[in-house]
Amino acid sequence: MKRCLLPGVVLLLTLLAAAPWAYAYVRARATPRPYIPAGWPAPRYDFSGNPVSADGFALGRRLFYDSILSRDGSVSCGSCHQQFAAFAHLDHRVSHGIGGVNGKRNTPALFNLAWQPELMWDGSVHHLELQPVAPISNPVEMGGSLALAVDKLRRDPHYPALFERAFGSPGVDSQRLLRALAQFTGTLVSADSRYDRYVQGREPFTAQERQGLALFRQHCAACHTEPLFSEFSYRDDGLDAAPADAGRAAVSGLPQDRGTFRVPSLRNVALTAPYMHDGRYDSLEQVLDHYSSGIQASPTLDPRLRGGIPLDAAQRQALLAFLDTLTDDSFIHDRRFAETHD
Amino acid sequence: MNRIMQSALRLAGSSLALALAACGHGESAGLPLRVEISHVVGAAPLRLGDQYSTAAGDGWSAERLRYYLSNFRLRRVDGSWFANPQSADSSRGYFLVDEADAASKQFQFGPVPPGSYGGLEFLVGVDAARNGAGAQTGSLDPARGMFWTWNTGYIFFLFEGHSPQSGDAAHALTYHVGGGSGAPAHSVFLTFQSPLQITADSSAEVHLYADLARLFDGAHQLRPAALYSAMEPQAAAEVGDNSAGLFRIDHIHKLPKAALGPGPADGT
Repeated sequence: MKRCLLPGVVLLLTLLAAAPWAYAYVRARATPRPYIPAGWPAPRYDFSGNPVSADGFALGRRLFYDSILSRDGSVSCGSCHQQFAAFAHLDHRVSHGIGGVNGKRNTPALFNLAWQPELMWDGSVHHLELQPVAPISNPVEMGGSLALAVDKLRRDPHYPALFERAFGSPGVDSQRLLRALAQFTGTLVSADSRYDRYVQGREPFTAQERQGLALFRQHCAACHTEPLFSEFSYRDDGLDAAPADAGRAAVSGLPQDRGTFRVPSLRNVALTAPYMHDGRYDSLEQVLDHYSSGIQASPTLDPRLRGGIPLDAAQRQALLAFLDTLTDDSFIHDRRFAETHD
Repeated sequence: MNRIMQSALRLAGSSLALALAACGHGESAGLPLRVEISHVVGAAPLRLGDQYSTAAGDGWSAERLRYYLSNFRLRRVDGSWFANPQSADSSRGYFLVDEADAASKQFQFGPVPPGSYGGLEFLVGVDAARNGAGAQTGSLDPARGMFWTWNTGYIFFLFEGHSPQSGDAAHALTYHVGGGSGAPAHSVFLTFQSPLQITADSSAEVHLYADLARLFDGAHQLRPAALYSAMEPQAAAEVGDNSAGLFRIDHIHKLPKAALGPGPADGT
C-alpha cells in the first residue's frame, strides 16, 4: 500500500500543475476565431479593433443570453434568437418584447453578420457593434436604454469582474458591452452546410438537389447571391400592392425605397420559419407560391419579379430539396454558441 | 501590489507616449485654445422655458438644447491649417454642448502651435468617419442619448421646446438633426476680426455666441405650424442648415499661460 503513495502523489501534483494549462486549452478551444471560409469575401466587420478573446467571447455570450439587458429583466437577446432556429424565432411572426408586446417585423436569423454591410430589415444599423442599441432601447423589444443596461451591469455582483477579465482593466461602459456582444455575434459563422461540402467536392448532391441548385442559380441567385446567399440590397418582393411598412424608405427617406427590405440570406432557411419581413408565410411552400403566382404589382416592385417565377411541381420539389441543403447542423449544435451557466 | 505595478507601468507608458507625441510633431508644442459658448436670443441670454418670438410672429420656447462640435481647425494668416489632433480610440476633440450643463459650454483644444491665426473652423456634429466607426466612449458614448437607434448615427443637433403655433397635439417642437444615413455634418468657418496671436506663453479664449433666433430666422425660415417635428433626414435638412448659422465670434480674450493650467473638459 505504502509503495503506491509516492507515485500517486506525483501523479496528483502533475495533474494539479497541468490544470491551468488544460483549462486554458479548453477555453481556447471553446472560443471561435474570426476566419474567412474558402471562397468568401473579406468580412465588413473589422475585428482588429476588437480582438476576440476567450474572456471577451464568453462575456458576450453571457450578455446575449442574460435578460439583465432588458428594462424589467424579462427578455434577453436569446429569448427571440434561438440557436436551434439559426438564431431566428421559430413560429413567431414578429418579435416579442417585454410585457408581452409585439414588434412589427420578423426576428431575423443571426449568422455571418460580420459580412453584412448593414443590419436589420431596413438596414438602419450600419455597424455590428451598434446593432444591440436598437433592441435594447426599442419599447417593443427590451424597452430599456443603453445607459440603463450599463448601470445595471455596473451594480451586478458578477459583471464588473467579468468585464475586467475581458478587457484587461476595471470598468463597465457601453463600448465594452457592445464590443463583447460583437465578439459573440460576429463569430456566429455558418459555413458548413451540405451545400458547402458539395461545392468543396466533399459530398455529393442527389439529382434532384443538383436540379434545385441549377434552378436556384437561374431564378434566385441574382439577389440571394452565393456564397452568403444575399447581396444585401433592399428590394420590394411584391408582397403588397400598397406596403403598410415603409421599410428602407424610413431610413433613406427615398420614395423609391418604400416597401423594400434587405434581401435575407437563405442559409439555414429551412429552420427559420415563419418567412418574409413580417413573418406572413409559415412554410417555404407558401413562399414559393408567392414567387410563382402571388406577386403584387406596385411602383417599387423589383423588376426581376415582374410576372413572377413560374415553377412546375417537379421544379418546386427540386428547389425545396436544394434549400434543405443550406441547413448547417454543426452551426445550430455548436456548443460554443449555446447558453451556458458558467 | 500587482495592481499598483500595473498602474505604474500604465502611467509610465502614457507619459512616454505623450513625450513621443510631443517630440514627433515639433509644431505641437504650444498652449491650448479655450472656447466658451453662450446661447443667446438676439442680444439676451437664452433662458430655458422662456417665451420668444420669430420674425414671423411665431412663439417658441426651448427646453433642451444639445449638440456636438468637433473637428476644430485654425487657419493661419498664410492660409495653412492647424487641425486639433484626434485619436481613433478616444473621443478627444468631440465636444457635447448642453445648455443645461454649464461645464459643457467651456472647453479647450490643442496644444496650438505659436503663430498668427485668421479664423476658426469646426463641424456642428460628428464627421462621417467617426459616425461609422462603431462603439465609442466619452462624449461620444451612445448612452449619452445623442444617438439614433432607428437609423444608427449621432444626433448632431437637438432642440426641443414648445410653440403655440406647433401643429403637434401638445404644441411640442422636436428638432433632431443627425447623420443616420451619411448626411454630412455642417462645417462652420468664422473669421477673427484681427489675427489671433498664439505664443509660447500666451493663448486665448474664443467666446462663441450661438443665437437661437437664427434657428427660426436663418438661411431657411422655419414655421412651427408646418415644421414642428424634424427627425427624418429630409425634414431635418433645413434645421441642419440653420443650426450651422447660429454661431459667431463675440469676442476673444487673451489668456496668459498661468490662466490655462490643466483646464476643463477636453472632450475625453
